[in-house]
Amino acid sequence: MKPTTIMEALKLKLKQQIIEALNLQDTRPEDIDDNAALFGEGLGLDSIDSLELMVLLERQYKIKVEDPREGRKILQSVQSMAEFIQSKQPA
Amino acid sequence: MAERVFITGIGMISAIGNNVQENLRHLREQKSGLGYTRHIDTIHRDVLPVGEVAATTAELAAMAGIKELPGYTRTTLLGLVAIQEALRSAGIKDAKELPTAFINASTVGGMCDTEKVYFDILDPNKEGDFLNYIDTLDCADCTQRIADETGIDEYVTTISTACSSSANALMYGARLIQQGLVQRAVCGGTEALTRFTMNGFNSLKNIDKQFCRPFDQQRNGLNLGEGAAYVVLESESLVKERNAQILAELSGWCNTNEAFHPTAPSPEGDGAYEAMKKALKMSGRSTADVQYVNVHGTATLNNDVSEGIALERLFGSNVPKFSSTKPFTGHTLAAAGAIEAIFGVLAIREQLVFPNLHFSEKMEELHITPETQLLENYPVKNVISNSFGFGGNNASLVISKYEG
Amino acid sequence: MKGKYYIQSAAAISPQESFSGPFVPQLLTLADKNLLRIKEPDYSGFIPPNNLRRMSRVLKMGLVAALQCLRNSEVSMPGAIITGTGKGSLQDTERFLKNITEYAETALNPTPFIQSTYNSVNGLIAVQQKCTQYNSTFVHRGFSFEHALLDSMMQIAEGNADVVLTGAFEEISDEHFYIKSRIGYWKKALTQPAELLTSRTPGTIAGEGSAFFMLGSKPGNHPLACIEGIKMVYKPTQEKLHAALETFLAQHEITPSDIDLLITGQNGDVNHDHYYHNLIVQYFPATTSLPFKTLCGEYDTASAFALWLATQVIKEQGLKKILIYNNFYGDQHTFLLLSNS
Repeated sequence: MKPTTIMEALKLKLKQQIIEALNLQDTRPEDIDDNAALFGEGLGLDSIDSLELMVLLERQYKIKVEDPREGRKILQSVQSMAEFIQSKQPA
Repeated sequence: MAERVFITGIGMISAIGNNVQENLRHLREQKSGLGYTRHIDTIHRDVLPVGEVAATTAELAAMAGIKELPGYTRTTLLGLVAIQEALRSAGIKDAKELPTAFINASTVGGMCDTEKVYFDILDPNKEGDFLNYIDTLDCADCTQRIADETGIDEYVTTISTACSSSANALMYGARLIQQGLVQRAVCGGTEALTRFTMNGFNSLKNIDKQFCRPFDQQRNGLNLGEGAAYVVLESESLVKERNAQILAELSGWCNTNEAFHPTAPSPEGDGAYEAMKKALKMSGRSTADVQYVNVHGTATLNNDVSEGIALERLFGSNVPKFSSTKPFTGHTLAAAGAIEAIFGVLAIREQLVFPNLHFSEKMEELHITPETQLLENYPVKNVISNSFGFGGNNASLVISKYEG
Repeated sequence: MKGKYYIQSAAAISPQESFSGPFVPQLLTLADKNLLRIKEPDYSGFIPPNNLRRMSRVLKMGLVAALQCLRNSEVSMPGAIITGTGKGSLQDTERFLKNITEYAETALNPTPFIQSTYNSVNGLIAVQQKCTQYNSTFVHRGFSFEHALLDSMMQIAEGNADVVLTGAFEEISDEHFYIKSRIGYWKKALTQPAELLTSRTPGTIAGEGSAFFMLGSKPGNHPLACIEGIKMVYKPTQEKLHAALETFLAQHEITPSDIDLLITGQNGDVNHDHYYHNLIVQYFPATTSLPFKTLCGEYDTASAFALWLATQVIKEQGLKKILIYNNFYGDQHTFLLLSNS
């Protein structure tokens, strides 16, 4: 697969996992914009959700985010999460 | 006018001592009780520091005079050790002599012991002593065992408002006295370390792997602790009647809620500000009368910002000496409010301000820094003791020197 | 604690059809377990979906009963929120305990831990109503709701609050039902509510529910009933219990014959039924009594359902005075005196 396709597939999978992990009923993957803010105005998530998303990263992608301040940057959007995951995958 | 409420007895056990004198000595020696657990079976044992009571559960049972252990959890035993000292210190030989309230505080009851046998309890093929622990899972169990051992039976109940639980217990007992329902109330809380709470706070990513650094720019979370503390509260009329020794007055209190978020305080510290302001107003003291604030100061990112801003809002440019004693004891959750209320009493009686250990760098959000030195001969007359927690539950107590 | 404390509104979620519409008590039929489960109302009209998604069972049950009580009242901002719960969120506690083992203490979801804290329902009510006033949770078996009530009455007596939102919530999980069955809490043989009081066997049937009340210093527009007094007695002998009742009635200047209805916590458990039996024989031989646990089952805060039941029957049946007497497994005993105005 081309890198762009891999990235798209990753983002779609990530959206599905976010919906499941946070029990976002009535939300479909296509409802979540890649670059929309996950917290505050965007999806309306809060600090507990951000912890849940860090659990998701750790369980599904074996990536541990130790510092909550770092976590905030990674979890800005689906795009930023996907980029972070890719940067941690062995090339 | 409601009757004044006095503190006539204190008793405690924590990571820095099995009684009040030992706690005071270690505060004076600036000796932290933080270290690593010897009693909890956890993968975090060498990673997450805790303020653990050195004694084993069997040793605690011996200290509390309990011979048949099954059913007595570490939570109960810590509580028994502390309440026995509190009653002795108040000169009460037999708690049954007067209708007395016992207002206890707990966050997870006997979880320290039930978590070890929980899956045995669920297994229909297993039988044994562990069945004695089934009823210890809730918060009432430790309270009732402590009440039954001491003979207190007029009002017996338990409060659970997370980290402010025992501050609320003191408040509730004082109010029962003011309403004339009892003349004496023994109030406080007990908390044993558990795998449950260690993993719980760790899942919130707010446990520091270093020793906690309240009000420091580099702080990175709390360390849990365990312990128990009780104060004997008595009405003014009872104190006079029996000529009891007055250690201090519980002169003001307030409970507010942040109504902001399940686990985070409001950024401007609204709830903390209101709690301190109203408690002070009730005590009839002004901000200028406060010499020391024993802050909640958990060293989590959120708490210290909110609480610090609340201090600056209330006291303006004249913030009194303040420190968090959690680097000594760890955060003892349900016991914290009572432990720190006793530290408030000690600050007044010994004319001390306790240092905020592990502080080095001022927080960028604040203009103030905690007291880092032990101050002796400091004229402490009024102390504010803060306890804030999950669910937005805030509680502030004002403890005052008795001057007639 | 003398004075009058008006119940301005109430709401209950219970095994009965109690949440909306006229209440008709029913003796339910159990299928396979001695356990009465609540009839769940539609929670979506009360809680925004974004908040609802995370909440476990008892949180929804507690929050929605509280919100319904607020809707039924003319009050939007209570002066205090005070609750009682014996067990809090069992579902979350169990889930977190299991997660610790299953995931070997790594990468644990924080939500069940947060929601397992006993004051989480109180926090949610406060957030949803933006109520920054006094807020507390009592967690002491059969003295949980009772102290929430006493605290509420004190808040009013102290002049700190004109109206207090007070209530209780409790769930029973299958796991906890099994745990308690190991130490004899429930009857061994399937026992229908209709046969509960004549079963003559140890244990009882489990229940759950949530009930909230708006308690005020003034009657409000449609007062349901008035709390005249409460007396708790801890682990009493029968003599002490009876003496406490006599003192309590005397303090309110009434005699047993002034009580029109006795609502009791009789639950068919031979180990503790004698408290009810002897009290009735000695003081209330001719008084109508209404045992409420056949309707809701036994749980730490079942007395909140009893109080809700009292608010339903007091006006409807033109009663002047109701006495509720309940005990929880023989340890926590409470008398609660109500009047119609």
